[in-house]
Amino acid sequence: MDIVKFKNYSWKYSETDKYVLKNINLTIQQGEFLGIIGNVGSGRSTLCMSLLGLVPHLFYGKTKGELIVDDIVVKKAKISDLSSRVGLVLQSPDTQLTGAGTNVEEELAFGLENLGVPRREIIKKVDSMLKLLNLEQLRNRSPFELSGGQQQKVAIASVFIMEPKILVLDEPTAQLDPLGTEQVFSFIKKLAKKGTTIILNTQKIDYIAEFADRIAVVNKGRVVKVGETREILTNVELLRRNGISPTVFTKLSEELIKNRLYKGELAMTFGDAVKIMKKVKRK
Amino acid sequence: MTKAILSSYIKKNTFIHKLNPLTKLIFLVAVIITVFAVKSFIYNLIIVLAIIPLAYSAKLLSKVFKPLRYLFIIFIVLYGIQSFLYPEKETILIDFGYGIAIWEEGVLFATIISLRLLAMIVHGYFFVLVTHPGDLVCSLRKIKFPYKFGYIVLSTLQVIPRVASQMETIIDAQKSRGLETKGSIANRLKAYSPLLGPLFLGSVQNVVERTIALESRAFSYETEKTSYRETYVRKKDKIIMASIVVFFTLYGVISWIL
Ligand SMILES: Nc1ncnc2c1ncn2[C@@H]1O[C@H](COP(=O)(O)OP(=O)(O)OP(=O)(O)O)[C@@H](O)[C@H]1O
Ligand SMILES: [Mg+2]
Repeated sequence: MDIVKFKNYSWKYSETDKYVLKNINLTIQQGEFLGIIGNVGSGRSTLCMSLLGLVPHLFYGKTKGELIVDDIVVKKAKISDLSSRVGLVLQSPDTQLTGAGTNVEEELAFGLENLGVPRREIIKKVDSMLKLLNLEQLRNRSPFELSGGQQQKVAIASVFIMEPKILVLDEPTAQLDPLGTEQVFSFIKKLAKKGTTIILNTQKIDYIAEFADRIAVVNKGRVVKVGETREILTNVELLRRNGISPTVFTKLSEELIKNRLYKGELAMTFGDAVKIMKKVKRK
Repeated sequence: MTKAILSSYIKKNTFIHKLNPLTKLIFLVAVIITVFAVKSFIYNLIIVLAIIPLAYSAKLLSKVFKPLRYLFIIFIVLYGIQSFLYPEKETILIDFGYGIAIWEEGVLFATIISLRLLAMIVHGYFFVLVTHPGDLVCSLRKIKFPYKFGYIVLSTLQVIPRVASQMETIIDAQKSRGLETKGSIANRLKAYSPLLGPLFLGSVQNVVERTIALESRAFSYETEKTSYRETYVRKKDKIIMASIVVFFTLYGVISWIL
């Protein structure tokens, strides 16, 4: 089933001269993990924000075409209609905490309170979410006293606990150090297994290579190409044309091919690279 | 200092800690109304001193007078001005000659005002020390305080210490570039004013982002909201609330009669 449908969709902020999203056609399947990649300023965040209706209902501007999210026409809906179906987490751990919870438990409970879920159910859900994500030791800590990585995990968990059909993550690790990044991604991987539709915008394509089903390449407001992860990430010309650097593993295999040490498919993941290195050694 | 005052709940397992926040709030409101209604110096002093047994039973005697450090200057200014300049001059306490003197009426007036201030600050701070902000908001919501108002109270209590620490970071950064933050008050104000820019700009962006975070938590979703935190108004709360009202009414009346 198609859960998101962009049809000739365009958007212009009232402050920008040109359209920031241009004639986008993109459908996303229920349960799919879609990665979004692209250069700086290409409109990826705007794309993410349109899924919750922040564009056009929180920002001023002009739309063309249509966006349908879970059978709701976004232009005609209110943000509050969409917010029970779409969860969005941005990059700054600091502002992604609402300040409504005096501890981690309460921060997790906040969205459920807003949806009017009965207290008993909230207690159950909070417990199982803490368990699922190994956050139990943090349950009574103030969210504002955690590390950036822990805060971002709490922020994502507190959106995920509301069981949105679609989870949109806009560069959730952009402000984290490598360790925090690692933690947040392994956490997202766990969530992906639960069958939620996940849309992840990130510059860290080494990670996206590991778990996205499909990838959309965005450039100057256009979705230039959508395809299977491997098809996109091993298409180095496509990537470079759109200002994206391939994964280190891809670059490594390219180098080996150039030096005639290896012949065959380009690598994409760590696993691929290991296989290639074994072949090279055998030679 | 902001941090010290705003997020200063101290968890303890005492009778007062376990009371419903509304009971404590009613006590605080009664104290404030009474110190303004009562004109007698002794009666106000008794209310101020009542903090000692209260704080002792809440095991917070050493903490409750902390904010007085910051009030010291205010008291000095208050006494300084009122002792010399209070308009109803009748009885001279100390005469310096040349028409300069300390007047008894002024000293009395300054004392009354100081006692009121003291009572409000000390009891207000004690309230904050013994009341969990989450419980306070939860119990306010139960008596139909607006949901959004509750959020504003809670998030402000939590976010302001963040802004304060952000401010410290900015100040440290500026100091390392040679900013002078010591010296006279005028100098300090001058030094701090450029800091408001980054702080304010930072927070506009933050407001947009936090709005988005709130919307992703269905904050504006229209339904009967539920609460994870629970507070109860117990029998002892009801009895104490009633006693507070009766006691302070009598106290006020007696202070007028005697
Ligand atoms: N709130 C806004 N008001 C006006 N213009 C905006 C706003 N947000 C983004 N823009 C503009 O829209 C364009 C796309 O921005 P967007 O943030 O969507 O890109 P991005 O691909 O996420 O880039 P980045 O790598 O910076 O995250 C940019 O030119 C930006 O200046
Ligand atoms: Mg962005």
